[in-house]
This record gives sequence, structure tokens and C-alpha cells, in this order.
Amino acid sequence: MTPVIITCLILALLAGPLGCFVVWRRMAYFGDGLAHSALLGVAVSLLIGISDQIGMVVIAVAFALSLLWLRAQGLLAADTLLGILAHAALSLGIIAMALLGMEDAEVHDYLLGNLTRVSTETLPWIIGACGIAFGLLLRLWPGLVLMTTNEELAQAEGVLVRRYEFVLMLLMGALVAAAVQLVGVLLITSLLIIPASTARLFTKTPEAMAIGGSLIAAASMLVGLPLADRLAIPVGPAIVSLSVALFVLTLCGRAIVTRTASGT
Amino acid sequence: MSDAKFLIRAENVCADRQGRMVLDHISLSLAEKDFITLIGPNGAGKSVLLRHLLKLETPQSGSVTHRGGLKIGYVPEKFHIEPTLPMAVKRFLALNNNLKDDAVLALAEETHCAPLLDRPMRALSGGELQRVLLARALASNPHVLMLDEPAQNLDVSGQLQFYKLIDDIFEKRHLSVLMVSHDLHMVMRSTRQVVCMFNHICCSGAPESVAKDPEFIAMFGQDMAQMMSVYQHSHDHDHDHEHDPHHHGGETA
Repeated sequence: MTPVIITCLILALLAGPLGCFVVWRRMAYFGDGLAHSALLGVAVSLLIGISDQIGMVVIAVAFALSLLWLRAQGLLAADTLLGILAHAALSLGIIAMALLGMEDAEVHDYLLGNLTRVSTETLPWIIGACGIAFGLLLRLWPGLVLMTTNEELAQAEGVLVRRYEFVLMLLMGALVAAAVQLVGVLLITSLLIIPASTARLFTKTPEAMAIGGSLIAAASMLVGLPLADRLAIPVGPAIVSLSVALFVLTLCGRAIVTRTASGT
Repeated sequence: MSDAKFLIRAENVCADRQGRMVLDHISLSLAEKDFITLIGPNGAGKSVLLRHLLKLETPQSGSVTHRGGLKIGYVPEKFHIEPTLPMAVKRFLALNNNLKDDAVLALAEETHCAPLLDRPMRALSGGELQRVLLARALASNPHVLMLDEPAQNLDVSGQLQFYKLIDDIFEKRHLSVLMVSHDLHMVMRSTRQVVCMFNHICCSGAPESVAKDPEFIAMFGQDMAQMMSVYQHSHDHDHDHEHDPHHHGGETA
């Protein structure tokens, strides 16, 4: 269980702050698209014989660059472009997996996650990639928050916003690659959005929201793992359901607090 | 244009938006302690020009030169804050610039924002937000303050107060101001130079001479020109009595 728990904690550390940007910058659909493209990454790495993680990151970079390029052409809205790219990557990935003779069960594992795929061999990859990603995030944090507050202002003050945006996309790509085995392609975005949204309900600064997001993500995973094991249910959906439960509880708690505070 | 003390100089800047020439050979130079107000109808390219002067956009032809080490404080025309981003005014002012608490407080006092410091950004009224944005623009101790229609969403008394504040800052900080504004009658007192543009520069100069320019009258109509000259008249009158041609907003608004 230990590599799994370490993976969970690392993912939670990254998912908190990164999830905040997904919520603030409305990148949820981008996250989904990126996660879908991970399937194509898996197929590509299988085809040319490299590790899954490298394939996924390479495809994530290609995905982000294509999106940025297409968006710069100004012909279609960003979400339309995302829809085209995401579904193209998903279809191509599934086709490639079928042609490569992958079993349905294996495809299913990539879609919904499977604990047994998290191994001691993948752990160094995950620690390395997430460590670099977290370091970058810390370093770029003030500029990223400023450009999220107002892009034009950040640009005028010398923040290289296009580059920062691309880095943010890469970091999400790294998180996707690290999280696929555990929660699966379909649910990765929820790992980003739900903890950050929950933290938003009780925090007053961007940093508090990021830390709160990480703690909630960690709690959902650390409780979700044994729960999934005990009930023999898939682990990804168990983690996500738990984080949704925390979100609903926080929402209710907040409603009670505001009602009490208003003195009725 | 050969001013050696220039801070920003634009030479023959051209920009194209979907086949329309928005900036047509614009040349403009901003020197130390200049106060230039940029006027022109909607679609005249005023904001685009500001973006070029800030070097946020590269001109299709021509050039924009900044004096070495130039710092610009910028108040954008539109400011939308994402409601899911928790951000107090205090934090916003110190974002990405390592400003200490006492520096933030001094800045807030200068721009009359001190009571707002603990308020969330999205709970600010239009006038409060403009003052906070002004404080943010001043945080880097800029040589140039650029404002894009900073008072357009304020009521008349709010506009008066805001322009008075800019005037005070201009006097105290010895910086240069470049402002896009339609409220010419309100900035007449402090502005040294008016640049009237409609994709190209139509006329420029001291407010009183611009008001008499046929191109200005053609663009803004006789009423505006008259309003300006009426103001100018009373302004001149003041000077005759006070013998103080550089009296800028000493009294309270």
C-alpha cells in the first residue's frame, strides 16, 4: 500500500493549487480534454515502446500547443476547439488501443483507474515529475495569481502571460500523467475541481484556498483508498464520491454558519 | 519629436485590425512631467494606441521606444475580477511586487483606499475599484501613469474626485500622465497637452488651441468646443486675478 499512499499525498499536494487555477481560470473543460488525450498518449507509448508517463506528457504538450495555436488563429471559440481536440484524441486513442489488441479490461482500467497499476517502478517518475511541477508552481505563483486576477495588468507589469499559461497547461499534463493509474482518465478533472471548490467556501486568500484544496484532496484519497478496498468498489469513483460528500458537507456547514451569524 | 528627455516615443506606428487601419502613422512623444490627454470618438484606436505604447502589442510598422529602465503604472479600461478568486484589496496591492505592509498602507492613504484594505476586491464599488487600481498602478513607483478612460463608470462627483486625485498625484509625484478621457472639461486644468485622434492624429496641442481646431470641432461638434472655450475663458480669468498660471487644484473639490 505504501507506494499508493505516497502517490496519493503527492497528487493531493499538486491538485490543491493547480485545482485553484482550474477553477479561477475556468479550465475544467481543458482538464477533461487533456485527460482524454492521455489515452492517446498511452497508445503511442505502447506503440513505440516507451513508458506510459512519457507518452502521456508528450501528447499533453502536443495537445496544449495545438490548442494555443488554434486559439491564436481566432477562428473558433476556445471551448469549441477543445471539443474538437479532446474528442479527436479520445477516439484516436481508443482506436489505437483496439488495433494494438488491448483488452477491454485494460482500457477500462485507464478510464476509471486501478490501484494495482500503481507500482514501485512508477513511483520515482511520479515523485520526480510532481516535484518539478510543484517547484515551478511555487516559483511562478505570484505571477500566475496576478495574471489570473487580471491578464492585461500582469502583462503590463511584465509577466510573460502566454508562457505562464503554457506552463500551467504543462503542469496539468504532468498531473494527469501521474494520476491516471489511480483515478483514471474520466475522473481526473474532479480531483482538481472539487477540493479547490470546497476550499473556496471557507477561505479568504488564494494561498489558503490552495492549501485547503490540497488537504481536502488528501483526506478524500486517504479515506477513499481503504473504503474502496473494504467495499470492493473502484477506487477512482470512491475518492471522487468522498470529495463530493465533503463539498456538500462544507456547503451545509457554511449555510448554517451564515444563518447563525446573521442572528436569526 | 527630437526631445532628448523623452520617456516614451512612438514613431509612425501603424496597426491593423481585421483589415482596418486602426493606427495610421501615429507619432507621439511623452516627456518628463508631461500630462497628455488622448481624446477621440469610439473606435478611434485610443486603447489600441495605449496597448502599443505599453508594448503589449508590436506595431505592424513603426516603432515604440521606452527610455531605459522605464516603469509604467497602468490602469486598464475594464477590470473584471473572477468571483471564485478570494482576494482582499491589501493582497491585491502587494501581489507579485513584495510590497511591505507599511508601504501598502502609505499607498492606500495616498489614493484614499485605506478603509478598503480588508475588503474583498469584488465587494468594491466602481469608484473604490478605480482608486484601488490607481494604487496598484502606483505601487511600482512608476515614471509614467497610463489610464484608459478611468472615470467612465463614475457619477459626476465621483469623476471630479477621481480627476482631482490624479491631479494631486501628478503634482506630488512628479510623474508623467498619459490618459484616455472623454471628460475633457474636467481634466482641462491639469492637462498640458491634448492629442485628438481618429486613427491618425488629427490635432494636438494646448487645450485652448485644440478647442479652436477645425478638425476638433468637426469631430466633437460646436458644443464641446464651446464648452471647452467657456471653461478656458473662466480659467484665463482666474489667472488674470491670481497671477498664478500654474495653480493646479490647490483647493478641495
